[in-house]
Amino acid sequence: MDQLEKRKARFVRGLVCSAETVLAELTESPDLPEGMGYFINIMKDVFVHQDKSLISTRLQRTDNQKLIGTYCIMVPEELIYAAGAIPVRLCGGSYEASSIGDELVPRDTCPVVKASVGFTSLGLISIYQICDAVIVPTTCDAKRKMGEELSKFTEVWMLEVPHIKDSEGARRQWLEHIKALKKDLEKLTGKKIRRKALQSSIRMIAGAQYEARRLYEIRKSAATVIMGREAMLALNAYSYDTALEWTKAMAGLNDELESRRDNGRVVADSNAPRVLIAGCPPIFPNWKIPSLIEEMGAVIVADESCMGSRYLYDPAGITEKSMRNMMAGIAARYLMPCVCPSFAPNEDRLYRLLQMVDEFKISGIIYHVLKGCVIYDFELIRVEKIMKEKNIPVLRIETDYSPEDIEQLRTRIEAFVEMLGTKMKKG
Amino acid sequence: MEYYGGIDAGSTYIKVAIVDSNGGIQGCKVVSTGIDCRSTAKKVFGELCDEIGLSQSNVPAVISTGYGRKLIDIANENVTEIKAHAAGSLRTAPDGKRIGTIIDIGGQDSKVIIIDKDGETRNFAMNDKCAAGTGRFLEVLSRVLEVTVNDLGALSLQAKAPCRINSLCAVFAESEVISLLARGEDRANIIAGIHRSLAKRISGMAKRAGLESDVLLTGGGALNPGLVTAFEDELMMDIYVAENPQFNGAIGAALLGRNSNGGAAG
Repeated sequence: MDQLEKRKARFVRGLVCSAETVLAELTESPDLPEGMGYFINIMKDVFVHQDKSLISTRLQRTDNQKLIGTYCIMVPEELIYAAGAIPVRLCGGSYEASSIGDELVPRDTCPVVKASVGFTSLGLISIYQICDAVIVPTTCDAKRKMGEELSKFTEVWMLEVPHIKDSEGARRQWLEHIKALKKDLEKLTGKKIRRKALQSSIRMIAGAQYEARRLYEIRKSAATVIMGREAMLALNAYSYDTALEWTKAMAGLNDELESRRDNGRVVADSNAPRVLIAGCPPIFPNWKIPSLIEEMGAVIVADESCMGSRYLYDPAGITEKSMRNMMAGIAARYLMPCVCPSFAPNEDRLYRLLQMVDEFKISGIIYHVLKGCVIYDFELIRVEKIMKEKNIPVLRIETDYSPEDIEQLRTRIEAFVEMLGTKMKKG
Repeated sequence: MEYYGGIDAGSTYIKVAIVDSNGGIQGCKVVSTGIDCRSTAKKVFGELCDEIGLSQSNVPAVISTGYGRKLIDIANENVTEIKAHAAGSLRTAPDGKRIGTIIDIGGQDSKVIIIDKDGETRNFAMNDKCAAGTGRFLEVLSRVLEVTVNDLGALSLQAKAPCRINSLCAVFAESEVISLLARGEDRANIIAGIHRSLAKRISGMAKRAGLESDVLLTGGGALNPGLVTAFEDELMMDIYVAENPQFNGAIGAALLGRNSNGGAAG
């Protein structure tokens, strides 16, 4: 076997091991909701079995149906579905893949980009292999340049996202880009996007968002019926499933959780500190921060992660069902409410965080900074300031996907949770 | 009279302390951690009890802290270093000083803890990954300079013009010190520069965490008067050294045991 093949085999072994470790931790819990099984299986198919036909079956992909990889949260899935294709989200969370990517991009690049480039370059993991095209929005510097690097290995479409969303010109421009994307999709699939199809895909995505919001409502309650590390995984699994199937499974999970709530079946102490994860997204299988927080006795009741609640929050507001109106509604939904720190000014994110602190009765914030993510780190200055006024402690954790710093992080997170506990006792 | 034990199982040394129910410090002891911190802790704690003339049954509560806290089987409970240091500062600060910030220079990490008037943690910061900013940084560099860590303080106070030394990496700092020596730079100036570099790094961390006066220095690093001066210069404020600075965590742990067992707070 030549060196490259050996390397690939080692990589696959490492990835399978990391993914299985996280999943085993989740399934070992006696409190794991039954409805979580579906989402755990999605992760197994993608990262453990890594089987093309398994994934295609799961996505109900017909023979010639196109699969579109997306990055970030600005690619309108409604258009992809309406064109008869299936979207999957490819932002990478694997330590092993980020180590491969380390050699292909500058050292100071964030691990999300490193892992995504690593995965794509190896051409190993089926979900990355089977995409017919990959759409990369121009969000932060690293993601933008990532698009160029990915194009060495796969078909990449860059999607230009304006960085100042309040300007009329930028909005008009964005609508034009979305219209151009629609044409490209039609060309790829050979299928014209019709009004009816778009209308039904808008309804389908809104359905997924409805179930995601139902989950947030359940997590607002003082009675904890699902751990944050589980809820976040269920949301993350949306990346690799069809909106329709995911929605069904999420509805089932929500029903189960509501009945738990009604029957007083709680899974955490009611005095446990309620933590919000802010900042960079934890992406499966990089589950170290969610695991550590809950291992230390806190409960993650909310996150603003672009893999979680930010992704599936705001539905497209459609007033008339004309093509023009629907296109404008979709364009607006992906730009205006989005509070990714690649936008400036981004005051809305601060309001959203303050709102979450109130609604979810947050005791403290863990601010996750992935090494190299300058923009989230930048906004920490403002977040710390407003949270100080609200007397909400914020702990900044800077880390990447490597497991080496777990011991230092454990001490830090434990001390933070201990501090929140003391603060709550004092009232 | 009842007695309470605190064990600070650090990365380099194990520190033990015993306080009485009035919060008075009865005794402290330190040994190298070695490879088996569980039995080392048991042994040194027994020795301290013997020295004070206590039987271990007179000690109703033992609290452990530090990296090895979960391994200490003779402890009834464990707390993080942050909490222990915060509690210790109430007792080890000079009389009349209300401590707002604790700076702890330990063997392998450094911490800044911002506390409220009850000694509860309000915020904290710890150094990331590298040895720069810790006691180990001083150990590494003292070896290059052929002095013991204990002599660093006195020597640095003789400096006329402290050198500027890299504060980000212990290995880079080491090669920098070697080239300064090769250029014939005065040793006192180099040592003062090392202290300044360490203080600068930790001060940055302290300011970010929300530095508040008064500042109490704890950990082995506080025994070094050169480092204390460097912190004063860097933070432009008075720095107080804890009584038994090396034992602050152990004393804090013992006091927490006392508080949760009915002893008067404070």
